[in-house]
Amino acid sequence: MGNFLLLLQNENMKIYRRIRTWVMLGLIVAIPALFAVLVKVSVTDDPGAWDMFSNITIIYMLVSVFASVIFADIVASEFGWGTIKLLLIRPWKRSKILLSKLLAGILFSLISTILFLAVDFILSFALFHGRSVNEYPADYTAFSYAMEQMLYQYVDLLVICVIAFMLSTLFRSSGISIGLSIFILFARNIFQALLNPELYPWAKYVLFTNMDLSQYMMGGGQAGMTMGFSITMLAVYVLVFLAISWVVFMKRDVAA
Amino acid sequence: MTSQEPVVRMINVTKKIGSKTLIDKLNLEIPPGRVFGFLGPNGAGKTTTIRMMVGLMSISEGDIYIGQSSVKTDFEGAMRQIGAIVENPEMYKFLTGYQNLLHYARMTPGITRARIDEAVARVGLTNRIHEKVKTYSLGMRQRLGVAQAILHRPKLLVLDEPTNGLDPQGIRELRDYLQELAHQEGTTVFVSSHLLSEMELMCDTVAVIKQGRLVDVKDLRGSAEAGRRETAFEVDKPLEAAALAGSGTIDGSKLIVAVDREETADLNARLAAGGIRVYSITVLTRSLEDQFFEMTGRGGGQIG
Repeated sequence: MGNFLLLLQNENMKIYRRIRTWVMLGLIVAIPALFAVLVKVSVTDDPGAWDMFSNITIIYMLVSVFASVIFADIVASEFGWGTIKLLLIRPWKRSKILLSKLLAGILFSLISTILFLAVDFILSFALFHGRSVNEYPADYTAFSYAMEQMLYQYVDLLVICVIAFMLSTLFRSSGISIGLSIFILFARNIFQALLNPELYPWAKYVLFTNMDLSQYMMGGGQAGMTMGFSITMLAVYVLVFLAISWVVFMKRDVAA
Repeated sequence: MTSQEPVVRMINVTKKIGSKTLIDKLNLEIPPGRVFGFLGPNGAGKTTTIRMMVGLMSISEGDIYIGQSSVKTDFEGAMRQIGAIVENPEMYKFLTGYQNLLHYARMTPGITRARIDEAVARVGLTNRIHEKVKTYSLGMRQRLGVAQAILHRPKLLVLDEPTNGLDPQGIRELRDYLQELAHQEGTTVFVSSHLLSEMELMCDTVAVIKQGRLVDVKDLRGSAEAGRRETAFEVDKPLEAAALAGSGTIDGSKLIVAVDREETADLNARLAAGGIRVYSITVLTRSLEDQFFEMTGRGGGQIG
């Protein structure tokens, strides 16, 4: 059988040969830089490098948005362009074509996360030399705390992206899937605030309540939730979303 | 028809969506090395059948074999033998023509860069292949579509409404090219259309389908050469001419008889010898259009 890596190469070509992708990567560099420069010129006392690092990390939201757009678009755009008809008549099972798209999306999320981290580090340590005032929980250094935060944020991004991926296969329309994904990205904080597991016992099984793993960094969670519980819940949700994507993509008749 | 193994065998192919039967127990064999037309009015199920052949739609009942490979159970094996354009050839507009071909070439084993260049030259796109597809005209996109379909030298080339949106020159080039592929390289070409005159020029054989059922398979080339054809003799005394000919029908001043080439000359000599003035002799070919309407019923039909 053919070489699966070539499928991945194809998907990458379709991501990185688009100007859009480079605009996104450019913004991932430019917006933190703009933010850092503004802080530098407007504040008289330099904050510490690690304090600045965690401030800039708030902009990681941007990476989540861009990665969601890539995932929400990656299947739907083929339907939108009509190229799906030429893509699915190759000697490849649909399951493998979908897998190549998922992996290409994950690769983009990794690249943009690493780029963001590098920019964050360089800006924080090149421009800011003040005294750090942030305090960290026991057992953490500034570095390990920041890295663990980042890891949880990446997990959060991946879950959103898997939802976007599912919407992309379900709706076959880039507009709807991108719109819905971004909506979920922003609205989930509201759900998280409303659905307090202390008040509603069932709320701890809701996806949004479990997405922020950093809630366990300061000790136990609400209503007896633990890190292990949340990871299990996330895994179950992700598997269900992927299963739906696969079943729908493999069964669907490509008409019109 | 040749005695060779058919390239495509459709066995009781049925497509149901909900309670609606779009294709009803279609049985069709496509012999190799021919341009095989698939003809039918809008909504007859041409596109549905083609989509089932290339795996874009599932087959409700029955099966389609491409060579020895079943589309249902050996999809990859079947697809390796097919090149196709389903409706318009949609390409990635932000990529160059070459990158588009590279994309599809990577998906089938054994396509070299040299083969890509060869296919590009074949469809006459060499000068523009490194430009973005968004700058291409419809005709150029159609050529690129043909290039991607022939990249892996498929045994079977499937084209769904390939002449849609092409100018007369483009249609002619495509027609010549398909004939060449079939008759010189032995590729089987399966082409669907509702444009009758176009199919008549392009195809060796046509299958006609109506409301999801196969109505007829007609050999266009064979029937045009051999056998008697209806011929009209325009004469001054049709009744006497009919008596002389011994058969035929009279239509105004014309005597219509079924004769072959030699008999035409013989009859003409007999008429002249019998003192009948012959003004014209015309072979009445019934166009594919007439035959098509005979088979599918003229107008007024409900969309299946």
